[in-house]
Amino acid sequence: MKRLRYMSVVFSLLLVCSWGTLAFASELKVALVGGLQSFDPHKANSATSAAVLNQVYNFLVTLGDDGKVKGDLAESWEMTDDYTWIFHLKKGVKFHNGEEFTARDVKFTIERMQDPSTGYIGTILRGKEIESVEVIDTYTVQLKTRIPFQPLLFGLTRHELGMLNEKATLAAGSEYGKNPVGTGPFKFVEWVRGDHITLEKHSDYFGGSPKIDRVTFRVIPESATRTVELESGGIDLLFDQLPPQDFDRLKTNKDITLYEGPGPSSHMLGFNVSVFPDKRVRQALNYAVDKHAMVDTLFFGKAEVARGPMSRSIVGFDKTLPEAYPYHPEKARALLKEAGYESGLKITLFTDPRTDRKEVCEFVQACLIDVGVEAKVETMEWSTFLATTSKGVEGLYLLSIFGTGDADGALHPCYHSSNIGSSNRHHWSNHEIDDLLTKGRSTMDPEKNQEIYDILQRKIVEEAPQIFLVVPRYLGASRANVKGFKLSPNTCRPFVNISIDE
Amino acid sequence: MLRYFRKRLFLLIPVLLGVSLLVFVIVHLAPGDPALTLLGPNATQEELVELRTQLGLDKPLVLQYGLFLKNILKGNLGKSLLSGEPVLSELKQRTPITLRLAIWGTLFSILIGIPLGTLAALYQNTWIDNLCSFFALAGFSFPNFWLALMLMLMFSIYFPVLPSSGMGTWKHLILPVIVIGIQNMAIIARMTRSSMLEIIRQDYIRTAHAKGMPSRIILFRHIFSNALIPVITVIGLNFGNSLGGLVITETVFSIPGTGRLLVDAIRANDYPVVQGGVMFFALFVGLVNLSVDFIYAIVDPRIKSMYR
Repeated sequence: MKRLRYMSVVFSLLLVCSWGTLAFASELKVALVGGLQSFDPHKANSATSAAVLNQVYNFLVTLGDDGKVKGDLAESWEMTDDYTWIFHLKKGVKFHNGEEFTARDVKFTIERMQDPSTGYIGTILRGKEIESVEVIDTYTVQLKTRIPFQPLLFGLTRHELGMLNEKATLAAGSEYGKNPVGTGPFKFVEWVRGDHITLEKHSDYFGGSPKIDRVTFRVIPESATRTVELESGGIDLLFDQLPPQDFDRLKTNKDITLYEGPGPSSHMLGFNVSVFPDKRVRQALNYAVDKHAMVDTLFFGKAEVARGPMSRSIVGFDKTLPEAYPYHPEKARALLKEAGYESGLKITLFTDPRTDRKEVCEFVQACLIDVGVEAKVETMEWSTFLATTSKGVEGLYLLSIFGTGDADGALHPCYHSSNIGSSNRHHWSNHEIDDLLTKGRSTMDPEKNQEIYDILQRKIVEEAPQIFLVVPRYLGASRANVKGFKLSPNTCRPFVNISIDE
Repeated sequence: MLRYFRKRLFLLIPVLLGVSLLVFVIVHLAPGDPALTLLGPNATQEELVELRTQLGLDKPLVLQYGLFLKNILKGNLGKSLLSGEPVLSELKQRTPITLRLAIWGTLFSILIGIPLGTLAALYQNTWIDNLCSFFALAGFSFPNFWLALMLMLMFSIYFPVLPSSGMGTWKHLILPVIVIGIQNMAIIARMTRSSMLEIIRQDYIRTAHAKGMPSRIILFRHIFSNALIPVITVIGLNFGNSLGGLVITETVFSIPGTGRLLVDAIRANDYPVVQGGVMFFALFVGLVNLSVDFIYAIVDPRIKSMYR
């Protein structure tokens, strides 16, 4: 009898303890705007893919919250001369398959990126500036560049340089894109293309085991559906592209936390400079547009007026820049008169058919009427638009600039004359700008480097190869019980520190 | 009769050949560059040329078409430029998803449309007729994305009983099926109504009434079976279009179906997916139409005798 009572006490104690551990695995459901291209970093270049890859991989270096480069897999690094970088790697970092991360993996990753047979589709840092990668010892690797190349460090933070495990990548062959092995805080579980991606936590993550057990990315292409899912609890986190109207509406919802921060992309109406060679005309049209009104009416106040060609979230942004060309219709009319267009001017604004883009063009069109400029708005399907503007349009084209996230990546493709016919849609050839861009790439000293880009930004504003418009703010939202998420315009950061309160 | 259908089946081949040429020409002549879409606006000329070579887009068009045909005969629909996945495997993965939607949507539209049309016909020119016709028209007039979002608001937020998007359980099917069903039932209802009205006026129906046959038996044995033949056409046409035609529903409800696959591919100039996808859809439509003709032959002896 006594034994039975004893047993029942033990049994009920056990039951109570196991009930505690029956806590359901915490799962973070994240909405994605589009599908993942591939888990192979050398085959993915969309922002959506970057968000997923950043959970699975680490990089030699990464961007800190202050926007400065800090070590990720590299503990420290130095330059022995303008061409040579030495990285000292952290020890004891484990891949998802248990293997240790070493210098061999760095060499393998970078050489694979440079190998045309692996089909690398990234554009920036295609590896052609990296001349060689040498393993000095197990935890030390040396990179030599072809020319002094300052953007290298920033390039290494990009999702395309996720460090691969040599053994696993070679073993998987062409199927690697569906079976990734990285060092990141989450490892691969399942991928149903176009529908969802499931990851689970990597308890041996060198940065500490993540606080959530599972991450599920759900592909939800329709913006209204994403908001509905957030409100109904179908997803926990929307890390970008929350429509500004929903932002205001959700302010009163106690179950939702909102996030707002500087946006990445700077909207601009680029001139085909060969069609508008007179700088006064270009400056006049800049003065003619009321950008603050645009922010209020089209972006519901959730945007900033542009201060130059780059947004403030791009590394290298000159913080002392004022707003570019504040609204001043009299100055606009005066400049146009000086240039000989007092009787009026007819131009065409080209854009792709997205509603928000058309609205921007129509707004500008309305502003321009005030100063005697008649603007026609023409739309073209996106890929046609890109191809046609590359060849050169008879007018202005609406694009937003971001690039890779650093000054070189934002400015070089758009403004260097060697890119006329492809990414330099301004068809603008300016020797001073070209020189500055080239110098910026090879100036290794950070202070001197920043000086060059400061001058560049001011010169570009002065020459006005575009109408500088606005920088929409980055808006995101999560369920109120999601803690630890920080909005980041450059890319979606790893979810290591995110937790979900029950 | 089977010989006739075998012949029709073989005739599908020149049709598909024609489709392949047409889609290849349209897709390649349309402006837009897949390399540019893949690499983004900041791509330099050098990178674009390199990628085009890698993707085989620099070969002369005739050669590309020849390769395309040769591969189709081997059952290879090519590889997506965007994902690198074989087009056939993408289609294989998504077709069952869309078909499931299409089948349930069609069943739902039949379940609602035919009774609605029947009631309207039997009580022609009364308030019942007006009401049924009104519902049918309303269903057709609501933009389907609006209807989808309204249903989502209603049943996922205000009365949270159903998931708002995605797929997985039978609950995920309910809202999209309702949207599809409501859109399609309008045509079925109208067709049923007009077809039945025509039959009801026939002499043999009047004779049956005069003979004293119960109305219910007249309805089900004589009127229905004759009136439904044009309705079968409409159902068949709707179903045949469903592989590509459900794209809006698929987008709003985040369902990874074939419609979305094709539209995304068209936007991105993903030539192999567009070519392979359109060929696949054409085959499907051809087979569905053939099946509808086959059903006619079974249902209507007059038609059966024509298929000699």
